[in-house]
Amino acid sequence: MKKLSILIVSLLILSALLSACAGQQQAQKIRIALILPSTVDDLSWSQGMTEGVKAVQAELGEDKVEVAISERLGNPTDAAAAIRQYASQGFDLIIAHGSQYQSVLEEIAPEFPKTSFAYGTGFQAHDNIFAYDPQAQEGAYLQGMLAAKLTKTNIIGVVGPIEAGDAIKYNYGFEQGVKAVNPDAEVRIAYTGSFGDIAKAAELAKAHMDAGADILTGTAQQTVGAIRACAERPGVYWLGNDMDQSSIAPNTVLTAQAYDWKSVVMQMVKFRQEGKVGGEHLVLSLANGGLNIVVNPNLSSVIPADVMAMIEQAKKDIIDGKLVVELPK
Amino acid sequence: MKSSYRVQLAILVIAVISALLVGAILLLIVRANPFTAYRAMLLGPFSSLYGLTETAAKATPLMLVGLGIVIAFRSGILNIGGEGQMIIGALAATVVALTFQNWSPLVLLPLTLLAGFLGGALYGAIPGALRAYFNVNEILSTIMLNAIAQQVLVFLLRGPLIDPTEIAYGTGFPQTQQLAKGIWLGKLIPQTRLHWGFIIAIVLAIFVYIFLWRTVIGYRLRAVGAGPKAARYAGIPVERGLILAMALSGGFAGLAGIVEVLGIHHRLLDGVSAGYGFTGIVAALFGRLHPIGLIPASFLFGALVLGADMMQRAVAIPAAIVLTIQGIMVLFVVGSDIFIRRPEWVEKITARWRPKASQPAQPVALSSSAASDQGEPPRD
Amino acid sequence: MIDQLLQMSVIVGIITTGVRLATPFLLAALGEMFDQRAGVYNLGVEGIMMMGAFVGFWVALRSGSPWWGILAAIGVGIFMGLLMGLISITLQAEQGISGIGLYMFGVGLAGYLFRITVGYITGIEGFKPIAIPYLSDLPIVGQIFFNHNWMVYFAFLMVPVSWFVLYKTTWGLKIRSAGMTPEAADTLGLSVVAIRYTCLVIGSIAAALAGAFLTLGHTNMYADNISAGRGFIAVALVYFGRWSPWGILGGALFFSLVDALQLWVQVLGLNIPYEFAVMAPYVLTILALTVAARQIWGPAALGKPFNREGD
Repeated sequence: MKKLSILIVSLLILSALLSACAGQQQAQKIRIALILPSTVDDLSWSQGMTEGVKAVQAELGEDKVEVAISERLGNPTDAAAAIRQYASQGFDLIIAHGSQYQSVLEEIAPEFPKTSFAYGTGFQAHDNIFAYDPQAQEGAYLQGMLAAKLTKTNIIGVVGPIEAGDAIKYNYGFEQGVKAVNPDAEVRIAYTGSFGDIAKAAELAKAHMDAGADILTGTAQQTVGAIRACAERPGVYWLGNDMDQSSIAPNTVLTAQAYDWKSVVMQMVKFRQEGKVGGEHLVLSLANGGLNIVVNPNLSSVIPADVMAMIEQAKKDIIDGKLVVELPK
Repeated sequence: MKSSYRVQLAILVIAVISALLVGAILLLIVRANPFTAYRAMLLGPFSSLYGLTETAAKATPLMLVGLGIVIAFRSGILNIGGEGQMIIGALAATVVALTFQNWSPLVLLPLTLLAGFLGGALYGAIPGALRAYFNVNEILSTIMLNAIAQQVLVFLLRGPLIDPTEIAYGTGFPQTQQLAKGIWLGKLIPQTRLHWGFIIAIVLAIFVYIFLWRTVIGYRLRAVGAGPKAARYAGIPVERGLILAMALSGGFAGLAGIVEVLGIHHRLLDGVSAGYGFTGIVAALFGRLHPIGLIPASFLFGALVLGADMMQRAVAIPAAIVLTIQGIMVLFVVGSDIFIRRPEWVEKITARWRPKASQPAQPVALSSSAASDQGEPPRD
Repeated sequence: MIDQLLQMSVIVGIITTGVRLATPFLLAALGEMFDQRAGVYNLGVEGIMMMGAFVGFWVALRSGSPWWGILAAIGVGIFMGLLMGLISITLQAEQGISGIGLYMFGVGLAGYLFRITVGYITGIEGFKPIAIPYLSDLPIVGQIFFNHNWMVYFAFLMVPVSWFVLYKTTWGLKIRSAGMTPEAADTLGLSVVAIRYTCLVIGSIAAALAGAFLTLGHTNMYADNISAGRGFIAVALVYFGRWSPWGILGGALFFSLVDALQLWVQVLGLNIPYEFAVMAPYVLTILALTVAARQIWGPAALGKPFNREGD
């Protein structure tokens, strides 16, 4: 029995050594692992990041970047197993794409000091943990201004998931944008209580529209359901978040605040090449181009030139620091 | 009558292999190599320290929830409210741990675990009482209570219990601050996720065995489960039995919740129940609804979940395949059970040449007396 | 806010929303009622709904007609029903666990098939509302009940149909006896196995149609986890309705109307945390059942596999 256990332990050590050697041989190559809460095709948060990582891979070359993806790991317990496995397989950069992964990273990261970990939305960067943090309120402010200018009923509906994280930032910024140009417009915020219930989101959007809203917005992957519901009613526009969602409703999705995940991933890769494995708090903002307002070319005529100019001006003011979009305290 | 262990094992192996063969079709369609995939799935959880400890860490909440399922099932009630009970248990315990965080860990740790148990027990007792006194079906009430617990959790996490730094910074992610380091469940092996909760679960499994088979209350509960009518004639208060069973069942789920918090997350956050309330049922049934059988069953089910997840990474396939193959596996294993319970079924297959004994069934008109026994629901 | 809620247009909006929300519950729960009446309880409804939702969507996307999607969903329902029957009836498996297995299988397979066949989120042409002539012109009632797509009418029509089948036909009597006293039914020469299989297939078709409603009659798209736990609520509603079609109608409407009300209360501006609104239908459903509690005998042989040899 004792002999057997010695044998097993030595085998384990051997295999660990072997995998370590294998890791060294591939030193030229950067290996990126991605942990996603939903799926690579959710047309929002997870798909946005997937496309960002793929874009980095395309730019640096397939032979220079290896990408591995694990989906549907919304709850941190299952994600932790995946993160730990990627780390022990010698991945260089492990991106856990959600706020909920903060505590598991804090637990695992110290054991793999050479590996870089990243998570977001978040701010607690550590030795080898990057935290990225989209300033969702900034683009939301601009979209709020747009909504306030375009609404004819003075009612704007928000289809929210769970009142937390990005949704709070987005809604808070959006309301400020609306109030800044049209204090009479009413922003009605409602939540479905879930991130992924697209049928409920659709129903909530319908209720908003029945109650008079003609401009709608919202966050999380469930909004695709709400967008489709809006597409049934001519004259109603949707302002999106996360990424350009106009493909599912070309005549309804007017704009979107799109996150440029590619730049974030590229930045982390650069930091690593400079020998920095973590400790940075990466902000996606209008100023650094991490956030963009994408206008659906199909519908660009809907936005009057003066409104567009006003929004451009506000964008400049935010970038210059003249205009600060508040966050809830 | 039961088959010999060797036959039982053979049947199980055949079921698993058949399930894997069906799953291989799905893998081949996405051009994944089934051999690589299954090697990762079947050997991954057992071939490294990482795999073994992860499996054990996964087995811990399965075992704790499963113990509750065993008690409930043996008492004649199916508890599918494990998710909600885990959440409420973890919530109650977290509140205690945060309120008294300056107390000595020697006092605070047992107090926290107790709060977790009581929180879950209380939340489990509700469907028990509703069933016993108001005749509200427990499947209905537990499904509803699961949804309610989820909303309560989010409400408290983004309100009164939120980590102050989340507010200060404006990220507003719904989670509590870290609990006092002193009450974290320590690691059994450093640099792994295996923590003392695993030992707690095994010790409790033995306790539950003793409780159900060696104490008077346990005997009464099982009597209620075996037949409420007979139990009532024997003078056993069936209503109280049901409530007690559900409370204990919920208590173990609540304990699972706080053990996950203290051993893995070190803070309470959304998603802490992670579906264990449901998978714990499967583990309990695989363990033949026996507390001791539950130990290997949870371990194997934990390995199945972990291995399937490792397979996803080994061959880069969509996560949905993992769930599908797990589903196929459950269906095959539960479907093969009949061959273990009824060895004559195996004989039927192995001895094809023997003529089948078919029972003649003659159609007889349904008599009106049979129809009147149907127990018409009063609505009509 | 209260006076806003009492406006006629808002009330109409709430009830219209409720009717739409009730439709998938109604279909799936009526189907589950047939399963349970025959003595099998099927926790896999969620998995069947997901399969129905996906296959209905995919066939509609490829063929361009939602009607082909419905046909395909029916096919999926038959397949899933036979599968559940094989495991739970022929192989006499523990039904709770085989239901959970079916749920995992269905949800997983739907996600998998979506990935390999479509792989991106896209919309389709779903069923359009059909205003019923004359009736839809009625004030208030017309908007609430007579301006939906055919699946909504179909679901509500199934309530009296199920009632008639269950209580006014010999076949309904056979179903009920298979669930109540299978041994007696067997001695009377009925094939309990055949009855249970038939009911499982019917129930499963209904669940698949409930799923197809989500993609073809409600959201006009498919995305991962579109059913979002509705299958489990449907199972719960069978208990709420105490195995009676009218009771299930009441339960589905009650749950959905509270849900619609809470959505509208939020939309009109709410001063309480939204979580309490979201949990309202769940809390009130339990309360309603507690208040209206009385002794009911369900199918006595529910969940017990039937075999002639006897155990």
